[in-house]
Amino acid sequence: MSFDGVNLGETWREWLEESAPRLLAYARARCNDAQEAEDLLQDALIKLWGYQKEREYRPPDLPLAFSVMRYLALDRGRRKGRREKRDQKIIQFQSGEDHWLDPTLEDAEEAELLRKEVEALPDKLREALTLKIWGGLTFAEIGRVLKISHNTAASRYRYALEQLQQKLNYLKSIKNG
Amino acid sequence: MDNTLKDLESNLETLTPRGLSDLGRENCHQLIDQLVVEYEISTKNLNRGYGGWKGSAAAAAVALGIGISGGWFLGGDRTSSLDVEDKKSGEAADVLAFEHLDHETWILATESPNVYVTKSGEIREISREVEVTEEVVQHRESGLVVTIETTDHHVVDAPKSDF
Repeated sequence: MSFDGVNLGETWREWLEESAPRLLAYARARCNDAQEAEDLLQDALIKLWGYQKEREYRPPDLPLAFSVMRYLALDRGRRKGRREKRDQKIIQFQSGEDHWLDPTLEDAEEAELLRKEVEALPDKLREALTLKIWGGLTFAEIGRVLKISHNTAASRYRYALEQLQQKLNYLKSIKNG
Repeated sequence: MDNTLKDLESNLETLTPRGLSDLGRENCHQLIDQLVVEYEISTKNLNRGYGGWKGSAAAAAVALGIGISGGWFLGGDRTSSLDVEDKKSGEAADVLAFEHLDHETWILATESPNVYVTKSGEIREISREVEVTEEVVQHRESGLVVTIETTDHHVVDAPKSDF
């Protein structure tokens, strides 16, 4: 099947509408703020368009999209300097104004707590967690995106859950006295 | 994985990632529009390139027709050139009015081939060559000899057999 311009535009818009929240969640796990994450997504769009030339410009599958976003994020990180980025990230996470996850739990307080703790996870663990929970990737796909084995991907995911659980238990115990 | 972690996993899944902002969505849509426009321009250029090849062939055919008709005109009944243009070039009667004296073809130029790999993994090479054909015809009635030279551009696409 080949596309004409109108169909092509429509197809990519639909793909974006469907995939943007997942891709953006990953971008936010790697960027300082919402604006930077959206910039990263736009950069990725251009790259992915070029990559899909040989596939008649069909929108890409998600693992490829995540791989491209990761590569671009690394590139950005290198340019900006990791230390500066990490410092900014801590400040922003603490400000509590710029979140990338919307709590929809009935218990909004617990959801808020969960969201903050996810954002405070170490980068590698948060990345694996994001790709699994909100990216919808399998461990094998996460492994391919992050250039690690699927066992390592699964381990990082499990560590992320365990760390979150420990933090939540601790915070709850403090709260309950 | 124990139940506590499974519950945590379920809770995490209820946190929905935020989508694009209105501005971000608008920017992305504009970007897609730009990419589509570039795609359409490149596709049109590609078609125009292909049309160019067809155009060259058509031009050569017209030139041949005009050449033949012109030969007939030069040695013929001295009617006006408009009359000649009105006649459909390449008609059988015109062609029969000429006798083929000589025909020669040679390659004028060949560029170095570019090697590429197809999706199926086949290694092929592609190049362009310019082929010149010279035909010498004689108008039977007038005895006038006309030399017609046509130039054809070919794309040569063949499997690469050796390195």
